[in-house]
Amino acid sequence: MRHFLVMTLFAALASVVFGAMAKDTTQERVVYGFKVFAEFMVIGLVLAWVLYFIP
Amino acid sequence: MHAGTAEPIPGFAWLIGVLAWFVPGLGHLMQKRWWRGLLMGGAVWLSFFIGLAMGGHMFDLNAPEGSSQYLQVPPMIANLGTGALYIISWLLGYGFADDPAQAARATYEYGNTFLLIAGLMNYLTMLDAFDIAVGRKP
Repeated sequence: MRHFLVMTLFAALASVVFGAMAKDTTQERVVYGFKVFAEFMVIGLVLAWVLYFIP
Repeated sequence: MHAGTAEPIPGFAWLIGVLAWFVPGLGHLMQKRWWRGLLMGGAVWLSFFIGLAMGGHMFDLNAPEGSSQYLQVPPMIANLGTGALYIISWLLGYGFADDPAQAARATYEYGNTFLLIAGLMNYLTMLDAFDIAVGRKP
């Protein structure tokens, strides 16, 4: 559980920075920030499951 | 593309860039980009202190035994991105210990990652502040 929370925190902080510096309007930035956050989480979980099966 | 048509970069923009590196978020705050400064700078500060709280350590040119000094350089550049936070920690000798007891903590590697990412995110923040100062960004 701790690992997941740390990953979530990491994704949140990184997506705030990526979202804030990208795009032109506030709405676009918010959408982009959430998109980056979702990508971090999904890719992190996929990688975790892939690595789980690798001894 | 025509050579010599680029507009000169004002000195103010370079100053903003240096200050944005030295104090995370300051470059935006100086240009009255309050929210962006608080969000981006806040993320860097948070990431740095969370990394330290997790027991992570920063890199300098003192290589541990059996390791090359050159291997220290890339992570040191990343850590150095936090500007004053790195320099003050280095002067105080805090956050650079890499002993086995600390490395045994479950959050040790996470801490290292947060500290590295804090610096890299501040490089992005610095470039963003510089672009705003030059007029490339609103």
